[in-house]
Amino acid sequence: MRKLTASFLGRDCPGIVAIISRLFGELGCNIEAMSQTMLNGEFAAIFVVDAPDDRDAEYLKKYLSDAFARENVDLSVIARPAISGKWGENLKCEPFVVTVDGPDGPGLIGALSRVFARHDVNIENLTAILDGQEEGSALFVFEAMVPESVDLGRLRRELNNEATKLNLRVSVQHRKIFEAIHRLDAI
Amino acid sequence: MLSEREVVSTLNMLRNEHLDVRTVTLGVSLFDCVSHDPDLFMDNIRAKLARYSARLVPVCEEIADRYGIPVVNKRISVSPVAVVAGPFGAGLMVKICKALDEAAEEARVDFLGGFSALVEKGFSKGDRALIDSLPDALAETSRVCSSINVASSRAGINMDAVAVMGQRILDVAAKTPDGVGCAKLVVFANIPQDVPFMAGAYLGVGEPDAVINVGVSGPGVVRKAIDRALEKGRASGRSLTLLDIAEVIKKTAYKVTRVGEMIGSEVAEKLGIPFGVADLSLAPTPAVGDSVGEIFQSLGLSSIGAPGSTAVLAMLNDAVKKGGAFAASSVGGLSGAFIPVSEDSSIEAAAAAGLLTIEKLEAMTSVCSVGLDMIAIPGDTPSSTIAAIIADEMAIGVINHKTTAVRLIPAPGKKAGDIVSFGGLLGKAAVMATPKGNAEAFINLGGRIPAPIHSLKN
Repeated sequence: MRKLTASFLGRDCPGIVAIISRLFGELGCNIEAMSQTMLNGEFAAIFVVDAPDDRDAEYLKKYLSDAFARENVDLSVIARPAISGKWGENLKCEPFVVTVDGPDGPGLIGALSRVFARHDVNIENLTAILDGQEEGSALFVFEAMVPESVDLGRLRRELNNEATKLNLRVSVQHRKIFEAIHRLDAI
Repeated sequence: MLSEREVVSTLNMLRNEHLDVRTVTLGVSLFDCVSHDPDLFMDNIRAKLARYSARLVPVCEEIADRYGIPVVNKRISVSPVAVVAGPFGAGLMVKICKALDEAAEEARVDFLGGFSALVEKGFSKGDRALIDSLPDALAETSRVCSSINVASSRAGINMDAVAVMGQRILDVAAKTPDGVGCAKLVVFANIPQDVPFMAGAYLGVGEPDAVINVGVSGPGVVRKAIDRALEKGRASGRSLTLLDIAEVIKKTAYKVTRVGEMIGSEVAEKLGIPFGVADLSLAPTPAVGDSVGEIFQSLGLSSIGAPGSTAVLAMLNDAVKKGGAFAASSVGGLSGAFIPVSEDSSIEAAAAAGLLTIEKLEAMTSVCSVGLDMIAIPGDTPSSTIAAIIADEMAIGVINHKTTAVRLIPAPGKKAGDIVSFGGLLGKAAVMATPKGNAEAFINLGGRIPAPIHSLKN
């Protein structure tokens, strides 16, 4: 068996997961892990599967694309060999939540994510809450893994510096505080 | 992955509702500092406090920064000085108080508590010396706080001590501008051994060599949670009842306490000192939106002091305890709601408008966690009246097996209705009229009111 990754993007509607899983079954693939999300009516998912040795990524992609076309399913697919290991496995990291809020505008995510990249901080989840507090306002929530070697004070200063230029407020807090307040099993 | 609600609600609590850790208090035992030589004793105290407290403030700031939660006050509590400095007279007690003040300044803490005596059943030599030293000791220092326990449910009320404290409070007031020295002096019944809040903090004799206790607060968070719940109820067409609101308070107290315990235990771990207790009290500050009094308005009273105030406070206090007790593995100190008049803008406004009297405050203290707190009274109040007010408050504590305390500030030269300002977190207050009548002969009887019967409870 070999491990393959397939990602899907397209119009969300009932039955998508059923179709994908049926096709994997036809291919003799066993689903090992999956994650899906929706945004503005779009469906996106990543599947990691155990595939028979004679099924490579190219074959998987062609089989799935052909099936979608045949069955009128509006989905694109990318398939590739699954990577082994993941970022930060050998690094001691701590989960931090960086929240940025203020007037919405272009360049915001770019400016802040460049700071993260400079410090080798990995963004694990990014959520935007638009028009939450008031019209035109934005709250961006970056859940990031910060390696222990990162100078937290410097990261905070650089984020603040970028945010001030865009008239935004930034806070950098360890994730545990959010869990302690809202979840029973946090500490 | 965090939910939107988890992120937004945490940010709101921090930015708009004054969520913070009100105090991290390092308790340090002074028993191993004892010496017959006062200079050696003070050197021992300085050395031990320096050793334990050197990293207190930097570690608190580091942890506060990490979680984005302010640790507003960093403080120290010590063993009762009247016990550890038992052989010394009043003059030396003043010197010891100054040594403690210097140690507090060096540690960069704003207050140090434990200039204390436990006299519920009688005075020892050290107790008398400490109580006699109070006017000079509190006038000549700025950071040291004193607590005198004059009553307990097991011993009764030491009325000789009550009478002496009536006079000492006047003496302390006379030696400090606007009587502000009295803000650092509390008279207690059933004082807990692990209070992190000032001015009543001291480290009890049964406590470890060093311990971290934490005081959590959050009246603003509770008030906003109640307002939001009421608004949501109205919008959905299902109005909330008091049972629903008690549940909201309980859950909010849980959240606030979790923050405190988490920060406190991390500070303790970093300092290599055991974590003691989380004191889950609603402790207000003069800032608008950080007030216990405002909660009364959210619950439909025109202001604190209106009929219904005792019932509201009873419910609030109980719900805070229930939520907090579930959230923290070790709860102690005072744990409940504070109603310090000058330190709470809404309570102060009610007192200034004549809507809240000392008599009503006394009734309310029978259901909350402390007592008559930060109340300015006329400077010419007789010592017997102050003593009798203390006696009444002690009786509530002793009979109900709870802590009560009195922190009155006789403002020299001021009459009822005048305004005195104590500055900073101590706030400002209108001088309140004391109850009419004369208690001099009663106070002069002295002796002890016996401990209450511990059965036949009704």
